[in-house]
Amino acid sequence: MKTKKIFFRTNLQLLVVFTLAAFLYNGCDKGIAPEPEIPKEEQAGFSGKITFLGQWPDGVQRTHLVVFENPLLSAADFNVFNLKFVGPEIPYGTTEFNYNSVDSFYVEIGAGEYAYVAVAQSKAEELSLNRVDWYVVGVYYANNDTTQPGKLVIPEKTLVKGIDIICDYENPPPQPPGGE
Amino acid sequence: MRMNKPIFLLVFLIACVELFPQTFSISGKITDVNGKPIPGVNVIVRETKTGAASNADGYYIISDLKPAGYTIEFSAIGFKKFRRAGVKLTEDFILNVTLQETPIQTEQVVVTAAKHEQNISDLPVSAGIINSDLISKRNITNLEQALRYVPGINLTGDQISIRGSSGYSRGVGSRVLLAVDGIPFYTGDTGETIWEVIPVTEIERVEIIKGAASSLYGSTAIGGVINVLTRPIQDKPVTYVKSLGGFYSKPSYSEWDWSDRTRFFNALTLAHLNKTGDFGISASFTRLETEGYRQSGFNKKYIGFLKAIYDFSPASSLSLLVNTLNKRGGSFIYWKDSRNALVPPDENQGQRTATNRYLFGSIYKNLLSDQLLLNIKTSYYRTSWSENSETGIESTSHLVRGEIQTDWSISERFLFISGIEGIGSKVNSNIFGNPDALSAGAYTHGELKFDFPLLLSFGARVDYGKLDSLKGSGAFSPKVGLNYKLTEEFVFRSSFGSGFRAPSLAEAFTSTTFSGITVKPNPKLKSERNFTFEVGFNYKPLQELNFDLSVFQNEYYDFIEASIDPTDGLVVFDNVTRARVQGLEYQNTFYLFDASLILNSGYTYLWSRDIERNKALKYRPRHLFYGSIDYNLNKLISLGEEFIIGSDFRFWSRVEEIDDELAQFVKDAHLRVPVYVLDLRASYSFPVFNFPVRFSFAANNVLNYNYIELIGNLAPVRNFSLSIEFYLQ
Repeated sequence: MKTKKIFFRTNLQLLVVFTLAAFLYNGCDKGIAPEPEIPKEEQAGFSGKITFLGQWPDGVQRTHLVVFENPLLSAADFNVFNLKFVGPEIPYGTTEFNYNSVDSFYVEIGAGEYAYVAVAQSKAEELSLNRVDWYVVGVYYANNDTTQPGKLVIPEKTLVKGIDIICDYENPPPQPPGGE
Repeated sequence: MRMNKPIFLLVFLIACVELFPQTFSISGKITDVNGKPIPGVNVIVRETKTGAASNADGYYIISDLKPAGYTIEFSAIGFKKFRRAGVKLTEDFILNVTLQETPIQTEQVVVTAAKHEQNISDLPVSAGIINSDLISKRNITNLEQALRYVPGINLTGDQISIRGSSGYSRGVGSRVLLAVDGIPFYTGDTGETIWEVIPVTEIERVEIIKGAASSLYGSTAIGGVINVLTRPIQDKPVTYVKSLGGFYSKPSYSEWDWSDRTRFFNALTLAHLNKTGDFGISASFTRLETEGYRQSGFNKKYIGFLKAIYDFSPASSLSLLVNTLNKRGGSFIYWKDSRNALVPPDENQGQRTATNRYLFGSIYKNLLSDQLLLNIKTSYYRTSWSENSETGIESTSHLVRGEIQTDWSISERFLFISGIEGIGSKVNSNIFGNPDALSAGAYTHGELKFDFPLLLSFGARVDYGKLDSLKGSGAFSPKVGLNYKLTEEFVFRSSFGSGFRAPSLAEAFTSTTFSGITVKPNPKLKSERNFTFEVGFNYKPLQELNFDLSVFQNEYYDFIEASIDPTDGLVVFDNVTRARVQGLEYQNTFYLFDASLILNSGYTYLWSRDIERNKALKYRPRHLFYGSIDYNLNKLISLGEEFIIGSDFRFWSRVEEIDDELAQFVKDAHLRVPVYVLDLRASYSFPVFNFPVRFSFAANNVLNYNYIELIGNLAPVRNFSLSIEFYLQ
């Protein structure tokens, strides 16, 4: 009988201690908290101007600036893990579009190295990741080297300026694999 | 030829005796130690499995029993079970019984494990029980909330995982089978479980079977079964009213305070039960409304429930079940960012959903002989839902089921169950297409009792299914279990079996784009399979003390998960993973100070691995702990009143892996923490003009701890609710 009482008492004490510990723990920690807002000038990103030359094709539903981390060597590279930035929708018929990745985006970009920066158009209403829905109308070339896509390097807390792209409908760039 | 008249009469009388053998009844009154009648006591004749429930005045009667020796068992929640053996029936027998009250929860019955009633201590697998009382006292309005307090269970949003069976796939393809009164309840398109359809006020008890149960239930039961038993219909008319109101606290941080006013929620249930002669009915209507603690988290729901029973004879009955849900509300998919954790992204603002779901079911039972019980279940489940998102989702599904089951008590030692089941479904949807599916299964289950005392159970099920244009496939799911009572206090159990899950139509045929993610159909998708093993024991050294320990291992093959197709980069449901879940589970209950204080705790350790990638499975916490305290203050108040205070605490460790695909589109998706939730509650029952009335108060997440179950979805902030229940009888 005595053993039984001691057993209960010990367990009860343990439980009280545990409950108090839980209270204390929770009292100190509120769990998830808002991430501190990074001042705009400290946010990593890029900006520039997109110029459209020629007549916009009929039926274009969406035009976006997109950034991929790795080169698009196959249709499979056009995937959600490789896609690192999707800019806001560029209105149909635009001739010049100034952008800043920090201001507006669907998918936010951070500091890093990116292999492919392009302007892509889709005739689908939805924002899809199906390669066949997209047609590349402009590619970023660094240092006027149009033989290969230019690499975008964004250092920490830096806005890289001058990432300009020309979209010439009469002279479209090479298409990545997997398109129609 | 003319027969002599006396000889003719003799032959006629003998024929009558043979054709209409004489039967007798057992009847009586059941009272407590104070002589007060106890209604709702289950009275079972163990040999024939026939029975009755005592009426409001404590009387019961079981008719049509052949002359023989019987054992009669009386059981009711809150009373010690009473068994009277050796009742020799040679004439109508009166058996009055006095039951002793016990606040200690004694042995209960479950139906789900082997599709027949058996004591929980006879099961070869781990099981859990949620009683209606706890649902009511916690002011729970959705069954999903109650399941969060069961050891071994965790939820990611509304998707349930028993012992690590599931991660998160936006509800598609549940690995846990939900059944209502034994009727499976999953949608025909996505194969998901819709918890909010079930009116919690109609629940008598929820039984949870942990581990694969495909050997009896087929697909979907690969991770376990949750069977909801609705409350029985009483002889005396009862009208029940429950009203609930509550509000959410302000969030912890001012950045999250998106609304300039307090957000409220409320619920109202009206129910009526009655039985007239052989016909009984239970009907309820529930209206729930919440303004939501998140922007776009508002909704209105209307739940209808009807159960009607007609007893053709003491041996046969037909039950009809109707359950409906109508819901309109906003849609919150994920947060804008951690600074706007209770607000959806700008592009998702204004999204709305509309849902209508209807379940019609029937259960026909006929005790064909003392040894043979026939059970026929049919159901039709129609669901339609729409969402005015960017893709404008619309889907309607129809699912019909039919099942015939026989329980054959070959002898007192050997029970043999067998059945066949057929399922057909048809979908009309702008994202799943218009596919249909057909499947059929046949199962057997045997239970053999030895004197040692060992209970050996074994069974198997074969299934064949065809999903529209996909190639048809079969599955064989065997299971063997044993239950050995070393002593009355120490019960050892073990089971080994296999389960499977056929892909849902949604997994095979989804073709849609949402939030930039494009999902394509997979015509090569096949069923996933698992092998499950469990060994455990239950030990009751004292009536006030109960320990339960189990060790388990589940091996999954061809696990279906959403992944990226390397050929085109699109998302597709595929058989991508070989997985293993190992773990142990410990539970105990202490009854202290004459059971005035009840302590419950449970701990589960889960080691869940994606073997091919050598990573943890997504959304599986490694540690789960639950604790509860209930303190009965009845000694401080008058007779006839009840005052109970209680507290629940749960802890889930931080999940190691999440959806990388979804995380690309959810800002601050890396934010996840361990879950610590503390709830407090109090309930006070008292009679008003002899009608029971109960007030229940609940404070959930009282420490306002901020956590997520699913990335980008902050769990409910602290909230308070008060309910009042009336029973007019």
